[in-house]
Amino acid sequence: MENNSNIWTEKYRPKKFEEVVGQEDIIKKVQNLAKAMNIPHMLFAGPAGTGKSTLALIVVKDLFGVHWKENYLELNASDERGIDVVRQKVKDFARTKALGNVPFKVIFLDEADALTKEAQQALRRTMENFTGTCRFIMSCNYSSKIIDPIQSRCVVFRFKLLEKKDIEKRIKVIAEKEELQIDSSAVEMLYEASEGDCRRVINLLQAASSISPLISKELIDTLVSSAKPTDIKIVLEYALSGDFLKAKEKLLDVMLRESVSGTDIIKAIQKEVWNLQIDSELKVKLTEKTGEIEFRLVEGSDEFIQLEALLASFVLAGRGM
Amino acid sequence: MTEKQLPLIEKYRAKKFSEIRGQDMAVQEVKTFLKTFPKKRALILSGPPGTGKTCLTTALANEFNLELFELNASDLRNKASLEEVLKPATGQQSLFKKGKIILMDEADGITGSDRGGVTELIALIGKTSFPIIITANNIWQKKFSLLRQKCHMVPLKELKEPIIIEILKDVLTKENKKININTLNLIAKKSKGDVRSALNDLQLVINLGEEVFITDISDREKEDSIFNILKIVFQSQTDEKTINVYESTEMELDEISLWIEENIPTEYEGKALVKAYESLSKADVFKGRIYRQQHWRFLVYQSFFLSAGISSATKLKTNKFTQYKRPSRILKIWMANQKNAKKKSIVKKYSEQTHISIKKAMKESFLLPLILNNKQVQKELDLDENEQEYLLEKQGAIIVANNLNKFKL
Repeated sequence: MENNSNIWTEKYRPKKFEEVVGQEDIIKKVQNLAKAMNIPHMLFAGPAGTGKSTLALIVVKDLFGVHWKENYLELNASDERGIDVVRQKVKDFARTKALGNVPFKVIFLDEADALTKEAQQALRRTMENFTGTCRFIMSCNYSSKIIDPIQSRCVVFRFKLLEKKDIEKRIKVIAEKEELQIDSSAVEMLYEASEGDCRRVINLLQAASSISPLISKELIDTLVSSAKPTDIKIVLEYALSGDFLKAKEKLLDVMLRESVSGTDIIKAIQKEVWNLQIDSELKVKLTEKTGEIEFRLVEGSDEFIQLEALLASFVLAGRGM
Repeated sequence: MTEKQLPLIEKYRAKKFSEIRGQDMAVQEVKTFLKTFPKKRALILSGPPGTGKTCLTTALANEFNLELFELNASDLRNKASLEEVLKPATGQQSLFKKGKIILMDEADGITGSDRGGVTELIALIGKTSFPIIITANNIWQKKFSLLRQKCHMVPLKELKEPIIIEILKDVLTKENKKININTLNLIAKKSKGDVRSALNDLQLVINLGEEVFITDISDREKEDSIFNILKIVFQSQTDEKTINVYESTEMELDEISLWIEENIPTEYEGKALVKAYESLSKADVFKGRIYRQQHWRFLVYQSFFLSAGISSATKLKTNKFTQYKRPSRILKIWMANQKNAKKKSIVKKYSEQTHISIKKAMKESFLLPLILNNKQVQKELDLDENEQEYLLEKQGAIIVANNLNKFKL
């Protein structure tokens, strides 16, 4: 079914080890493990869109053939990050025997670095107790967020950012199949905008193709910049001009209308500060304040209160103070 | 438990029809139902909590000397257990009393785990040799539609305030207690026609005294007190009184924090604004620390920054009169959530199909209206009409906003 998906990230998701671009060393090792029909627990660490989920899917399909769906559980830890998930879903799946002529099941825990520490603690016993019936593949962006006991139970594979040539290869395959015309400057643009994230590249490509089969640098550029919250600039301009109430209102509007998170807003503010028409000494001051507020946000404070407090500093900066 | 220790609500539960007030119509209907049984085999008493549904049934049993066989939400009520319990009950004769009534209390409580419960109930109504009375708060749910057809329906209304006051006065006389008529009025108003809650509140007043109760229940007074608090924080000098200002209110610090956030921008400006917000921000940081570390001692700091911290900005400002506003953020968030619900459901379906988390899918969501732009892909994701409409609308908006038409061939 996935072979004929209409979503390109699925349609062009590599289905065999040979089709994966980049990560050659990892692919070779994992392929050999799968060949022996006995994989260890594995931890895939690396940036988004570099092939972690893809490789996990290839492994289970290679191991289980037609029975892969019954013997595979995929959980997104960033959506279900509490200890209950480990206690219930994971355990329930892990403790029952594998179906079909298969030695064990596989649980893929995507974005495992989002699991709370307690959930990770609960996981380590589960991993050991059910090794006989179940193997874990975990993915994460930063392996440092995975507690040591789990890392020590896994073989860790570090995925690298995809290189330009890898991404180019992928784009070419898709362009050919979908009959798109794309020039090298557009490819360049796609690569830059994606920051090595293959999923973003393919999504941008499909979105662009919905407008025209002629993919130009400008089209990609327009799509990419449409995603940037330009409204943040307006918020900051209101604040600098001294109209705090309007700035506050607009901020709330941006955050709620597009459900943008506080951390995304603060990233946009941090990038925007340097472009503001104010004295550079003030820019330094404001950036320092921005960093402090981001720190408070990360600590788990209320995003509205913190961002409004930051905006108040911009009002003052608007007066040259 | 002696009679004396019983809660008022149990002690004075109506046992005879004459003790049930304000529901004369319903009393008549219940009597007629019993007298004409088995013309209709079951009766539904529906109405808000505390209007006398259960009382009517117990009174009926008492007055006609019938045994009451009761099943309520605390009992499992799926098909098997209903069958087991009720089948003998619907057949057997009672030993000492001449007859029986079966009471199915709180029927809205028949839930998912009570599988087949409603169906079995309907089957029982067809066979029963004893009258069945069903009570429910909301009988208009779809799952009860068949049941409604089989039963005689008696809706009960909320009791009027004067009747509630009458009931409360009666109880007070019997208890030999006196309380202020204003408090009685307040209790009656707050009860919104629910006798049970009125009697519970009366109990509270009898046990704890009137003052406690008045500050506790009156939303209006709560609001008055927050206005006074804001005045102290925003307008007077910072001293001992400021630091302890929140001790006099029942409002939670988190709610107070919303009030402060809403009103800071109109109260302060410039340096004072920054200073006030800095304190609010610090109070919030401590709140976060309380939650994460469960270290409640930090409450001192949250409260301090929220009171004295903000108040210390006051000396920087020129005094002006402002009308305090009630916090609007929660409402705005709620409204936005309603609007974003469609987007979220689309993103959820997309994330399931593409092996990514909802969070990650959200980051791609700005491209989704363009990617999910045809029937096949919408069918693949099982998108409903509303979701398709949302996508179409968004797609148009993106194309116009970014002038994408110029790229079209």
